[in-house]
Amino acid sequence: MKKSILFIALIAATGSLFAQKKMTTSGTVNFDATTSLDQLPKAENKTVIAAIDTKNGNIGFEVPMKNFTFGNPRIQEHFNGPKWLDSEKFPTATFKGGITNIASVNFSKDGTYDADVAGDLTIHGVTKPVKSTGKITVNGKTVSANTEFTIKLEDYGVDGPQIAAGKISKEPKIMVSADLQ
Amino acid sequence: MSVTKKKLNPWFKRVLFGIVLFAVLGAGAIWYIFNEKFSDTSGVNADLTISAMDLIHEFEKNDSLANKKYGEKIIVVNGMVSEVEGADTTVNLKMADTSTGSYIIFAFQPQHREEAKGIKQGQEVSVKGSCSGGAFSQILGTEFITFKRCALNK
Repeated sequence: MKKSILFIALIAATGSLFAQKKMTTSGTVNFDATTSLDQLPKAENKTVIAAIDTKNGNIGFEVPMKNFTFGNPRIQEHFNGPKWLDSEKFPTATFKGGITNIASVNFSKDGTYDADVAGDLTIHGVTKPVKSTGKITVNGKTVSANTEFTIKLEDYGVDGPQIAAGKISKEPKIMVSADLQ
Repeated sequence: MSVTKKKLNPWFKRVLFGIVLFAVLGAGAIWYIFNEKFSDTSGVNADLTISAMDLIHEFEKNDSLANKKYGEKIIVVNGMVSEVEGADTTVNLKMADTSTGSYIIFAFQPQHREEAKGIKQGQEVSVKGSCSGGAFSQILGTEFITFKRCALNK
């Protein structure tokens, strides 16, 4: 009973952040840190929580770090290990921000719109402001969001000999896509 | 004119053999590490079996403890599918506690994605996968538990 009350209270609280929200718990983030020396460090995560408020353009993402799937077990272990992203200590990466050109996106009309996004990206416990451009596609009740950007690993306190040796890209590509309803 | 054959010092031979053996073993180990892949989950023995509701309640009670207990273990979860959610070109299955909103979400191994598409909301299923652990979502205000490399447990 207490949990039900807490759940309703939290829904009400988050409702103020995302008053007219569209959501998914199956957003996708692809991580690509491959280099000419090593094609292994790339992964995908299809269990990303994403929310967008169609009224004010607020956007939120939560990425469970340990659910990135790599092809190679050793690379996955390194990725989550204490010398890399330390997923035990920092289980989620988050983005909190919004669409800065909200007037250019019409959520009540089907179509594809260019969106400028800015906000705070937190990875490995380090928060940095980021800007990116992406596409918002409105198709009936579904809003699809897509963007691609790079991050500098050193900005988020991630380094090591394999990065220095060029086996892991210092600026991996991050591709985000989500169908929100 | 006579040709004299110089004999190699036996110790030098042993050292040379050791270096060659070390190089071959090292190359083999590197080849194995770089070519190692995750096994098909359907053929991997599960560490334990649990109902979806019991697993959710354990994470809700104490997710640090539950993460230590279940993290990176191969687990069979039995329960009712509360949602089949589109994930890019494939689907994830969800099992949720409707009273709290907490849920488990299963992302399937590429070779098992088609079988997930055949599952309907409300269906009782058994899913085997690698438990990545749980966390509290600031966006949803609920506990969420993620699984990767899943397959239907037949």
